[in-house]
Amino acid sequence: MGENHSFRSYNDEQPNQLRLLIMLHNIGATESSKSLTIKQISEWTRMEAPELQIHLQKLIERGYAQSFRSEEIDKYHLTIDGIRKVLSLYS
Amino acid sequence: MKVGTLTWEFPPRVVGGIARHCEGLAKALVQQNHEVHLFTLDFPGSPSYEEMDGVKVYRASTELGHPNFLTWVLLFNHFLTKRMADVVHSVDFDVMHVHDWLAAFSGISFKHYLKKPMVLTVHSTEVGRAQGLHSPDSFSINGIEWWAMYEADRVIVCSQSMKNEICDHFNLPWDKVDVIPNAIDATKYQTFVDRGSVRQRYGVGYGEKLILCVGRLVPQKGIEYFIRAIPNIAKRYPEAKFIIIGEGWSRDILEAEARASGQNRKIQFTGFASDQEVINLMTSADVLVVPSVYEPFGIVALEGMATGVPVVASQVGGLSEVIEHDRTGLFVFPRSPESIVWGIDRVLSDPDHAKWLTENAKEKLHKAYSWEAVAMKTVEVYRKVVE
Repeated sequence: MGENHSFRSYNDEQPNQLRLLIMLHNIGATESSKSLTIKQISEWTRMEAPELQIHLQKLIERGYAQSFRSEEIDKYHLTIDGIRKVLSLYS
Repeated sequence: MKVGTLTWEFPPRVVGGIARHCEGLAKALVQQNHEVHLFTLDFPGSPSYEEMDGVKVYRASTELGHPNFLTWVLLFNHFLTKRMADVVHSVDFDVMHVHDWLAAFSGISFKHYLKKPMVLTVHSTEVGRAQGLHSPDSFSINGIEWWAMYEADRVIVCSQSMKNEICDHFNLPWDKVDVIPNAIDATKYQTFVDRGSVRQRYGVGYGEKLILCVGRLVPQKGIEYFIRAIPNIAKRYPEAKFIIIGEGWSRDILEAEARASGQNRKIQFTGFASDQEVINLMTSADVLVVPSVYEPFGIVALEGMATGVPVVASQVGGLSEVIEHDRTGLFVFPRSPESIVWGIDRVLSDPDHAKWLTENAKEKLHKAYSWEAVAMKTVEVYRKVVE
């Protein structure tokens, strides 16, 4: 990690996975009752569903997001660790 | 006095030092017979209202969202305002106390609506956190910070270095700002900790050194410089283990740095840990490293001092005021892995000196940093604006 990246702008240069995590937080997907489908997340973030699925899977593997199935549809929301990771940007 | 406190962070919504500060201050104010109504944001599993040691805590649910951070902040401020509006008809507040710019919109609204004075505590600044203003959002946040300080009747900061920073950067009148340091609840650190058991849980064997770093995983905490110091520490102390506690947006980058160090098997990232687990690890560690490059106060150094672990910290910001070099801890140069190696070696190579440092640190801590004292000084500020 070079000096120039130490204090980079979190709005302009974040990897898409982190950007997605932030967006999920800011649009309110922070608990199971507020979880969102891929379609809803895609509408908010303007990311294509296949790309979204890859990023969401990685976020789930790292413990920052979780999913559950409701009426045959997968829905996603952040875990508490995911929320804390996002809030660390702003505190 | 009846105090309306606004903060975006309050336990269990703990991100950085603001939550701990608000908790310590609010509880100490209640103990001194003041009435504290605290308005904050919801968190999964937390009730919308509860009393915590006499502090009345109201949590606002943010019912609308937006991908843009600043828009989201404006939205949650609306819901914070709405939550507060339910209460102001039945409580005649003497003063509104806002913590940082994030809750400023709501606080300023009520200042004007209720015609009550507003006190603002500035915990850090955008220009400090980001080490410059590099994006439109940063410029906007910087402007909101200025606005909040302008609207506030008085401004509180936690260190002289923060006073210098905000007076210089925002052209704030020197006599509008009060310095009230942070504190810790010393009783939390007086519990028995089975060091052997804690070390075993983290795979630190008998006779091995445990080197600890605690902080949000964000660039301002300087953890990358600690990781860069690890190969040279490991050369001198091959049995050392390194534990990094905290969560944050730069975790992936720091984990990659750890992998590249060639010492990855000796480095553990624990993620967020509870207060008790932080105490357990601090009490069990041989040295606590605080490698921050920007630190308005550095409450983690106080926590380390309270547990009796020797503290090696960057000489920046509030840390320069918390620690006395080579008396209550050791200073190292910020952004310098070589200097961090020196500090850790100084502590590990001379256990008698390390013990002396920790004894001095504990003595200073008990005299200077109690929530009771912080609450009394804060009430003095409230009195200035109420009168």
